[in-house]
Amino acid sequence: MKFDNRTLVLMAAAIVINIVVGQIVAWVKLPLFLDSIGTVLVAILVGPIAAAIVGTLANLLWGLLFDPVAAAFFPVALVIGLTAGVLARYGWFANLWKTIVAGAIICVISTIVSIPIIVYMFGGVTGSGTDFATAYLLAIGQNLIQSVALSNLVQNMGDKIITAVVAFLIAQRLPRNLTSSMPFFAYSRS
Amino acid sequence: MASLTKKKSDKPSLLYTAGESFLHRANPLTSLCLLLWMLSAAIVLPTEGTATLTLAAIAVALVTGVGKKALKRLLITMVPIGIALTVVHGLLIDRQDFAALGPVQISASGLDYGLRVFMRVACMLMATLLFVTTTHPADMLKALDQRGVPAGIGYLIASPLLLIEPFTERARGIRDAQRVRGLNLTGSWKARAAALPVLLVPLITLALSDLDHRASVLSGRAFRAKPHRTVINAPPDSTLQIWVRRLLLLLAVLQLGLPLLWRL
Repeated sequence: MKFDNRTLVLMAAAIVINIVVGQIVAWVKLPLFLDSIGTVLVAILVGPIAAAIVGTLANLLWGLLFDPVAAAFFPVALVIGLTAGVLARYGWFANLWKTIVAGAIICVISTIVSIPIIVYMFGGVTGSGTDFATAYLLAIGQNLIQSVALSNLVQNMGDKIITAVVAFLIAQRLPRNLTSSMPFFAYSRS
Repeated sequence: MASLTKKKSDKPSLLYTAGESFLHRANPLTSLCLLLWMLSAAIVLPTEGTATLTLAAIAVALVTGVGKKALKRLLITMVPIGIALTVVHGLLIDRQDFAALGPVQISASGLDYGLRVFMRVACMLMATLLFVTTTHPADMLKALDQRGVPAGIGYLIASPLLLIEPFTERARGIRDAQRVRGLNLTGSWKARAAALPVLLVPLITLALSDLDHRASVLSGRAFRAKPHRTVINAPPDSTLQIWVRRLLLLLAVLQLGLPLLWRL
């Protein structure tokens, strides 16, 4: 698959958005990542393949530059791009309510992909705040996979819905001259 | 001085550390193959093996002058993971061999499993740290260009590397400007949540505003006129390094493949 120059430039900007927005979120000290806004934006504007490439490269570059552990989760970023792109193809980013549902679907699918990485590679922990929820669920009798799945699902739900909504709002407000050469965006026009 | 320190701490710190060691001078593809071999070894080796490999990687990091940065990152990442693994596998997951240790019940097999995971992750992390602290991303890109990676892929890797710093500066500028207008980044969670769109929207809009211009520049430079780009100052390579790379890749595949065949 070959992308035109404008799409390539958009994809590069989206990779930077993923990385820099992650930093802004750290400034406001909220339990969010929002590190997939660029990925979902490209999914809405260009499609699933471009979004999967953006997610994968953003994760690998983040790992290469700042945090090697992040690179282990590149399959999750890839699946977020693919899922968002497929949802966009079927009109799930055409209005705010559908976008919220799309964010929830992205959350569930990305959590399913992250579970084997967390459980089999990291033994069910990641060294982050989510481990407290995992430990609590284990203490009340859930098994490891259920605990990891539930704690990550709860933590990611708000994050992925906000990500989808922000990407949707930005895509809808982009000037026509920018989006006119992106035919895939027609599936998400309200 | 305080603001200078604050500004420095705001910067994302690149893990690469300049140096003249054998790993710094090695072709980035050789370092990448070493990383792949270590990752595959970490998957198949028992705890003793991953512990030995981790210690060896730490020794190499110290010899190559990247030890301080690599060890700091290793500790920051592994201490919380170690504590969480001890609690989850030693105390919480129900196992047959729970034994009383003071007021708590602790499982030896759980701790053993936790240690195995801990050393595996530490080994993988140390392998990656050895690579990222001794290989500059720009050199990696040149090595990929030299091997004929398509121009589009090269652009998608190189362009973000060049743009991250200016965009981080822009984000800082937006934050400071909004603070002057009364934005509160240290208040209640509601105030901080309200601050998020005020910071995000201008940055993302800015990032997308000059897309047309940058695309025109690429077109103007006949960016994809030829399938592969020519690298002027490609990282040095040698026949020895080419053979080392082949050996490391072969070992990586055999390490992963032979145990699987054995099980079949």
